[in-house]
Amino acid sequence: MFTKSNSTPKYNTFQNIGFMIRLAWNSDEKMVLVLCLLIALLSVAQNLIDLYISPVILDAVENHVPVIRLLFTIAGFAIASMAVSAALTYARQNSSPGRISVRCEIVNLLNRKAATTAYPNLEDNRFLKLLEKSNEYTNCNQEAAGAIWETLTLLLINLTCFFLYGSLLTQVQPVLILVILATSGTSYFLSRHLDSYRYTHLDEEAEYAKRMLYLLNQAKDFGAAKDIRIFGLCTWLEELYEKNLEAFLAFHRKAEGVYLWARIADVILTFLRNGTAYAFLIYLVFQQEMDVPAFLLLFTAVDGFSSWVLGILDGFRTLHKQSLDISTIRECLDYPEIFSFTDGIPLKWETQKSYEIRLEHVFFRYPNASEDTLKDINFTLHPGEKLAMVGLNGAGKTTLIRLICGFYDPTAGHVLLNGTDIRTYNRTDYYTFFSAVFQEFSLLAATVAANVAQTEDEIDQKRVEDCLEKAGLRAKIKSLPRQYETCLNREVYEDAVLFSGGETQRLMLARALYKDAPFVILDEPTAALDPIAEADIYGKYNEMTQGKSSIFISHRLASTRFCDRILMLGDGKILEEGTHEELLNLGGKYAQLYEIQSKYYREKTEMNHTDMSKFTDREQTKFVYRKGEGRNVSE
Amino acid sequence: MSQNKQRLSWLEMLKVNQRAYLLFYKMYPRMILSRFALIIWKALTPYVGIYFSALIIEELAGAKNPGRIRFLVLLTLFLIAAGSLVTALLEKWKNVQSAGMWLKIKKILSEKLFETDYVNLNETKNMELYSAICQNHNSAGWGLYRTLEDCEALCQTVIVILGGASLTLSLFTSQVPESAGKYTILNNPLFVILIALIMLAVTCISPVLAGKAGRYLTSLADIHNLGNRMFSYYGHLGYDTKKAADMRIYRQDKICEKYNLNKESTFGSRGVFARYQKGPVGFYLAGASAVSGIFTGIAYVFVCLKAWAGAFGLGAVTRYVASITRVYGGISTLITTMEDMRSNAAFLNMVFEFLDIPDHMYQGSLTVEKRNDRKYEVEFRNVSFQYPGSQEYALKDVNIKFEIGKKLAVVGMNGSGKTTFIKLLCRLYDPTEGEILLNGIDIRKYNYREYMTIFSVVFQDFKLFSLPLGENVAARTNYDRELVTEALEKAGFKQRLAKMPHGLSTCLYKEYTESGVSISGGEAQKIAIARALYKNAPFIILDEPTASLDPVAEAEIYEKFAEIVGDRTAIYISHRLSSCKFCDKIAVFHHGTIVQTGTHQSLLTDQTGIYHTLWQAQAQYYT
Repeated sequence: MFTKSNSTPKYNTFQNIGFMIRLAWNSDEKMVLVLCLLIALLSVAQNLIDLYISPVILDAVENHVPVIRLLFTIAGFAIASMAVSAALTYARQNSSPGRISVRCEIVNLLNRKAATTAYPNLEDNRFLKLLEKSNEYTNCNQEAAGAIWETLTLLLINLTCFFLYGSLLTQVQPVLILVILATSGTSYFLSRHLDSYRYTHLDEEAEYAKRMLYLLNQAKDFGAAKDIRIFGLCTWLEELYEKNLEAFLAFHRKAEGVYLWARIADVILTFLRNGTAYAFLIYLVFQQEMDVPAFLLLFTAVDGFSSWVLGILDGFRTLHKQSLDISTIRECLDYPEIFSFTDGIPLKWETQKSYEIRLEHVFFRYPNASEDTLKDINFTLHPGEKLAMVGLNGAGKTTLIRLICGFYDPTAGHVLLNGTDIRTYNRTDYYTFFSAVFQEFSLLAATVAANVAQTEDEIDQKRVEDCLEKAGLRAKIKSLPRQYETCLNREVYEDAVLFSGGETQRLMLARALYKDAPFVILDEPTAALDPIAEADIYGKYNEMTQGKSSIFISHRLASTRFCDRILMLGDGKILEEGTHEELLNLGGKYAQLYEIQSKYYREKTEMNHTDMSKFTDREQTKFVYRKGEGRNVSE
Repeated sequence: MSQNKQRLSWLEMLKVNQRAYLLFYKMYPRMILSRFALIIWKALTPYVGIYFSALIIEELAGAKNPGRIRFLVLLTLFLIAAGSLVTALLEKWKNVQSAGMWLKIKKILSEKLFETDYVNLNETKNMELYSAICQNHNSAGWGLYRTLEDCEALCQTVIVILGGASLTLSLFTSQVPESAGKYTILNNPLFVILIALIMLAVTCISPVLAGKAGRYLTSLADIHNLGNRMFSYYGHLGYDTKKAADMRIYRQDKICEKYNLNKESTFGSRGVFARYQKGPVGFYLAGASAVSGIFTGIAYVFVCLKAWAGAFGLGAVTRYVASITRVYGGISTLITTMEDMRSNAAFLNMVFEFLDIPDHMYQGSLTVEKRNDRKYEVEFRNVSFQYPGSQEYALKDVNIKFEIGKKLAVVGMNGSGKTTFIKLLCRLYDPTEGEILLNGIDIRKYNYREYMTIFSVVFQDFKLFSLPLGENVAARTNYDRELVTEALEKAGFKQRLAKMPHGLSTCLYKEYTESGVSISGGEAQKIAIARALYKNAPFIILDEPTASLDPVAEAEIYEKFAEIVGDRTAIYISHRLSSCKFCDKIAVFHHGTIVQTGTHQSLLTDQTGIYHTLWQAQAQYYT
C-alpha cells in the first residue's frame, strides 16, 4: 500500500537493507547475498556480450578478416554466451529457496509477535493495522520481504551498466548522454505523475476487490449454502458483485485513461531520443569518424543507456517503497509491550506447592470505553476450590476471566498470585499456571497426539492415552485407522478427520488434562450438545478439576451446582456469592435467573419452590452427581 | 491427484484447451478480443524496426546517399512511433478489460457452487476438487488462467515465426557469387537444407530440456500445495485473535516456530524444491538456456560466411541475425507452450470435472399454488435417507404429517437425524426412499425455486453476511424498510437496532467494509429470526434458535414464540426440552426414526421412553 502519511518511517533505506542483510547472515542464508552479487555480475556480462556480439562480428565481415578469425570470433562469443547464460539461469533458479527461508524468518518473527504480544495489543487498532500490513508485505515472494533481493540485484545491474555504457558514450559525445537523460527522465517522471492517480487510489481499488472476493467466497461456505438456497440469496449476492465490479472497472477505465497520456508522451520522447541519436551518429559516419559496426554498437548503446536510466529511477523508487514496507514490519516487531515478559521475574509452578489467586479492588475499563466493565471486584480463589461464575451476556464474566488469566491488567487494583502482583512476573511463565478450555479454541494442524500434548517433540504417549481415556475420547481415537497419529484440521490436511462438536470438546478436555496446571478454567461448554452429552461433559469437568483450583463459567445455572462457591455477576460487579443453596435462599438475582430456567422443567407449574425439603433432595442429587454417576440419568 | 501424473494425448490436450478458451470467450468476449488484438500487434511490430534499421545500415555501409538515408531514418522513426501509439491504445483497452482477471476466473467457479445441488456441496470429494483447483490456480495459474496465456502465446509465436521466416527466407536463397571459390558450397541446396535442419534440431533441444525440468515441477504440484497450506496456517496462526487465549495458554507459538523455521520444509533452503533446483531442474534449465548460444553461433557463422563470400551486405546481416533469432525464440516458445498446454490439460480436466458435476435433483415444473389461507399440507411417507457414500441410514422410514398452523417440536440426541429431517423437508436433499408430499403431490414435481418459497428456516449454523443489516433481513438490495424494522422488532432486536450507527444500512461484521459493526452471537440469532419472519413463508422452522442466548433472552423468545410464528406451521428443534412445552406436538427422533410422538405431558408419562430420559438429564438440575 502507498503510505500517504507524512510521518517519517522509523528506519531509513540503508537501515532496512542492513536489517535484511543481517537477517540473511544470521540465519545462515549467506548464499542469498552471494547469489545476488553473482546474478548481477553474470547479468552484466551477458549484457556486454549482447552489446558487442553484432558490431564485432560485423566489423570482422566488413574488414574481410581471414575466415578462420571470423569463425573464432563467432565461436568465442557463442561459447561465452552459453557459459554465461547457463550460469545465470542456474544461479537464478537457486536463488529462491534461500530468499524464501529469509522471508520465513520474518514470517516467524511476526507470527511470534502476534502470538505472544500482550493481549490488549490485539485490541489496539494501531497494532492490528501494523500487523495486517506487515503480513501483506511478507505474504509472498513478490512483496517487500521477498522481493527486495531482486530489487537490489537489478539496481546493481542497472548501475553497473549505466556506468559502463555511459563511459562508452562519453568517449564519443557526452551531449548524447544529456539527451538520453533528459528524454528518459522526462518520460519517467511524467509517467509517474500520470500514474499517481492509480497509486493514490490503490486503497479504493483494493476495497472493491476485497468486496467482490468476499461475495464470491460465500459460494464455498458450506454453512451458508443452506441459507443461500432457502432464501434465494444468490441473486442478491450476484447483484452486489456486479455493482462492485462495475465500480472496479470504472476505476480502471479512469486510471488507464489518464495513464494513456504517459504512454503517448513516452512515444514522442522515444521518437526524439532516437531521432537525435540517428542524426548524430549518422553525421559521424558521414564525417568518416565512425564505421558502420561502431554506428550499430553506439546506436544499441543509446537504447540500452536509456533503459538503464529508467531502470535506476524505477529501482530506487521500488527500493524506497520496499524499504517503507520493511520499516512497517520492523515497527510492528518493535511494538511496545505493556506486560513484562523476559524482563519479569521468572516463575515456575511446583506440584507440592499450593497457589491462590486474589483480586483486590479490581476495576477494568476497555480503552475508549466511557464506563468501567468491572467495578471493585474482590475475591479469592483458594487452593483446591471450585468456583463458578454466572451472569447474563455482558455481565463481565469473560473480562473477569481474562484478568485472572493475565490477558488484561486491571485499570485499578491488583491481581495477586500468592500475594504478589502478577505484573511483576514474566507473563509467559504465568500462563503456564492455567489449563483452560475456552469457547474459541485452536485446533492444531497436527496429529491427535500433538493436539493433546501441544507439541510434536517429546510427546508422553502414555499420558496422551490416559488423558484421552479420562476425557472419554480414547475409544473413538482407537477406532481410527491411524489412531493417535490421525491428522486433524482440514485447512491443511485434506485427509484430516472431522470431529463432531462433542468430540472436539473432549479433545480440548484431554489437552487441558495433559497440561495438568494448578488452575483450571472452563468457559461455557458448547450449547449445541444434546442433554445426555452435556451431562456427560459436566461430569468430566467435575472429575478433572479434582484437587485443582478451578473456575467454571456458564449461563446454565444448573451446571454450576458441583461447584463449592458461585459468583453471580451483573453490571460488572459481584452481585451475590455463595453456594447454590445459599443463593437460592437469598432470593436475589441468582434465584430469579434460576426460576426463569427451571420453571419449564417443573412438571407441576404451581410447585412451591421454597419448600425446604426440596433442597435436601437437591443436595442428594449433587452428591450422587459428584461421584460421577450423574450421567446415569436414566435411573 | 493422480490425474496430473498421467499425461494426456495431444488431441485431448487441444480439446480441453479449446473448451476452456471458448468458455472464457463466452463469459468475457471483450476481454478475449482485446487481449488477442494486442498479442497480434505486438508480435508484428518489432519486424518494422528490424527491417528498416537494416535498410539504414545497408545504405550507410554502401551508397551513403544522404537524401535516401534521411528518408529512411524519418520513415523508420515515424513507423515505430505510429506502431507504439497503436500499442498504447490497445494496451489501454486490454488492461481495462483484463482488470480483476483473478476474480473473473473465480466467478466462473463460484457460479457453479451457487447453483449446484446442495448435496454436491456436502461431498468432500467435490469440495476437495474445488480447493485443489483454487490452490493450483493460486500457485502458478494452473487451470483456466494458463489456458488463456497459452492460447495467446501459441497464436503469438505462430505470427512471430511466420514474420521472422519471411524476412529470413532470402538468407537461404540468396546466392554467393561464383567468384567466391570454395564458398560456393554455400549455394548448394543440400548444404542449405543441412544447415536449416541443424538449426531446427538445435531449436528443439532447449524446449525439450525445459520440458523435462517443468515435469519435475508439475509432479510436485501436490507437495507444493500442501507446503503452501502449511505456510499459510503455521505462518499466521498467531494472527487469529479468536484463538489468542488458547495460543498463549498452550504456547502454540512454539509449534508454529518449529514449522516456520524449518529449512527443510517444502520451499525452504534445504527443502525438496531447493534440492531439485540444485539438481536436475537447475541443470536442465541451465542447459536449455545455453542452447541459445549454440544457435546464435550457428546463425552467425552461416550468415557471416555468406556475407563474407559476398552474397549480401552488412545491413542484411543484422536483419537476418535478428529475424532468425526471433524465429528460434518463436519455435522454442511454441514447443514450450505446447508442453505447457499439455501439463495444464490435466489441471483443466479438474476444472471441468468440477464444472460438470451433475445435478441429479429432479427439477419439476409444477408451480406452487399461492394460497392466502396458507393451507399447505406436507407429509412424509415412508421416507428413508442415506447420505451420499454412506451405508448407514440417517433417516429410516419416517412418517409424519404436519398439521396446518400447528407447532411441532423435534427433539433427540446429537446425530439422531433431526437436522437431516429438516433438510429433506426443505429439499436440500431428496429422500433415498419414500416420498414427501405437498398437498398430496410429490415435492419433486414442483419447481425447485417455487417450492423453496414456502419455507423460512433459522438453521443452527445460520449464516448472516457482512452486508447491510436491512439487506440481510430482506435478502435483497431494495426492500421495504418498515417491514424489515417490524421483523427485527418481533425478533427482539429493537433496542440494538436503535444503537446501530446507520440503522438498517449498517453493515454487519467487518469483512466487507471497515465501518461494519460487530454483533454478538445472540444478536446474530435474532437477526436470523427476523430474516425468517420477513420472508413470511407458510412454514417456519427454527433449529436451536436460542443456543447462544442467555436465560433471560431465551425466556423472552419462548414467551414470544406464539406471537412470532403466528398462524404459520412451525417446526422447532431444540436441545432445551423446556421449549417443547410451547409446542402442540413433539416428535422424538432416535437413530433416524421417530420413536415417540405426542404432547409433553403424554410423553413424560412413558417412563421408559427416550423423551423421559432426555428430560430427566436436564431436569435433574432443577428438580
